[in-house]
Amino acid sequence: MFRKLWSHRDLVVSLVRRQYQVRYRQSMVGIAWAIIPPLATLGAATLVFGGIAKIDAGKEGYAIVTMAALVPWSFFASSLTSGIPSIISSSSTLTRIPFPRAVLPVSTIGISMIDLSISAAIFVIMSYTVGSGLPATAVWFPLLFLLEFALVLGVVFFASALNVFARDVKLAVPLTTQLWLFLTPVLYPLSSVPDNLRPLVLANPMTGLVESFRRALVPPGIAPDIGLLLPAIIGAVVLLSLGSWYFTSVETRFADVV
Amino acid sequence: MDIVVADAVTKNYRTGVGRARVREMTPPPFDRGLAKVFPNWWYKGTFNALEDVSISVSSGSAVGLVGHNGAGKTTLLKVLAGVTSPTRGKVQVNGRVAALIDALVGFHPELTGAENILMLGSMHGFGRRHMRTKVAQISDFSGIEDMLETPVKRYSAGMSARLGFATIAALEPEILLVDEVLAVGDSNFQRKCIQWLDGYREDGGTLLFVSHNLSLMRNMTQQCVWLDHGKAVLEGPTSKVLAEYARAMEERMTSDHTGGDTRRAAKRLMRSTGMNRWGAGGARVKKVHVGELDEHEGLEVVIDYEATQVERATFCIGFIDEAGREIGAAVSRSVVLHQGGGTVRCDIGKLGFKTGIYFPIIAILSAEGTIHDRWRLDRAVVVDHEQDIIPDEFGSVEIPSTWDDEQYPAEPVAQLRSAE
Repeated sequence: MFRKLWSHRDLVVSLVRRQYQVRYRQSMVGIAWAIIPPLATLGAATLVFGGIAKIDAGKEGYAIVTMAALVPWSFFASSLTSGIPSIISSSSTLTRIPFPRAVLPVSTIGISMIDLSISAAIFVIMSYTVGSGLPATAVWFPLLFLLEFALVLGVVFFASALNVFARDVKLAVPLTTQLWLFLTPVLYPLSSVPDNLRPLVLANPMTGLVESFRRALVPPGIAPDIGLLLPAIIGAVVLLSLGSWYFTSVETRFADVV
Repeated sequence: MDIVVADAVTKNYRTGVGRARVREMTPPPFDRGLAKVFPNWWYKGTFNALEDVSISVSSGSAVGLVGHNGAGKTTLLKVLAGVTSPTRGKVQVNGRVAALIDALVGFHPELTGAENILMLGSMHGFGRRHMRTKVAQISDFSGIEDMLETPVKRYSAGMSARLGFATIAALEPEILLVDEVLAVGDSNFQRKCIQWLDGYREDGGTLLFVSHNLSLMRNMTQQCVWLDHGKAVLEGPTSKVLAEYARAMEERMTSDHTGGDTRRAAKRLMRSTGMNRWGAGGARVKKVHVGELDEHEGLEVVIDYEATQVERATFCIGFIDEAGREIGAAVSRSVVLHQGGGTVRCDIGKLGFKTGIYFPIIAILSAEGTIHDRWRLDRAVVVDHEQDIIPDEFGSVEIPSTWDDEQYPAEPVAQLRSAE
């Protein structure tokens, strides 16, 4: 499957380009929509959690601490939201051309990667304007991202394939990502979680990831801790193998069902 | 060398919309286990779109697929194209395949024509750079240069069909699967496509062709496979298969009284093409006898009628083709109707139709033009020429005519030429 994907990387690039072209077509402000959502979320979160609920975020301030977590979280959430329906939304191509099906979810994740780079750029600008710059541990970013990418790929492979047969998956995605957001220390720091709830929050693979991103990106900068990342590593390995196995074993049926 | 081989291919589909499809979402090998433990539940609500179909196509040949709607022609093309996999059996295709399953060929509605060309190319494994060199050729062939920068969603059906065909043609496939796409688009473009297909075959391309147009089929293919209810019932030289197929189509239409499947199929066909009988009812056709076409394509029709209110009427025997187009009619002069009923007999000297299947319509019209009875018969008239006299694009009816070429007895062109 991965070899097939690699040999069709041209197609993945074309698909990413196509979806990006189509996304902002016939809109008034166009590409500005790539920046508006992360800024709006951050603004609202800063107002509610930083201003009203007054969560203590240390000396860097709530906005920086939260943005460091929002960057990886938005990638996760948007990959799920657009990746899971990616197969059924390409039904017209699927029933006519025999290309490797895996390019569809992978290319939607590619779109989310573009969004990720935009919000990462916003974060960097913020760090050097509002905050006190990026710490040296920010070099861990690519490795942490790779881990998150594997986790996301596994979830999306499995869920997008399952969604072809049971559309419940797609319907459940917004709810799931919303609930998942509450269980992940994105809008609040991990330190604010009470001790009795901590094991539950830590078992969530995204907790370790998001927290590691935050530690690496926010001064003073702490290198990732393998213990904290363990659920994410196990999750990535299990989900990626399960997801790609399930996807390859049912992909020949997609054209019959969509 | 056989370039396309299907070996005992069966394709099983589920019927109905269904809720969550547990049976389909179960991955192998668990699906086989479930099928074994709960066979009744597993196979409930399924049908075989293809059943043990075996065909082999040698490189450079052109093979046609005929059969009524729902016979499995498109499914077979889809299986051969690799869009879907067979439930049982094996498919082997040794070469680059491109399929025109329908006019849409998988275009994205939001993308412009030019963007779609690049997209379709990369779906078939061609790089963007390679496809860019083809854009000019494609836009030239499709004849929609001025629309290339417009999203495909604003195209007419004919325009997207043209772009689809032109793009697929530019992919230089070794094996081309074509499913009745030539029916879309105007006749000019159709001719262009047929010319292109001829050239493609001359260059050694392999063609699998689905069409309801029997004369086109005869021109395009040497071999033919007739599919009926998912089974390959006959395969062989095109002329032989088409003759058998046409005969069976006719029998299916006339076997109204033998009941069963064929009768229901005929009824369904009638329904799909609209109501088969209506009228004001002042005079009615009681019984019709349509004879066999004789060797001069003459046809005898005898109509028994009954009349209650109408005193004078015109009888009309019209013909429509498979696509439902009215082809022409034989019309009587004004006839005095007899109280109670009577018989009129019509001798059609020569039908003069092109190869195809035609359905007669019997009608009784009053002098004011009121249709009192209009009855589309279940009986089909099959015209089967070895070679059609009327060239393509010149309609379906040969107009009776006499020609005189002795008007100007000058030197024939051949002699003038040789004298030069």
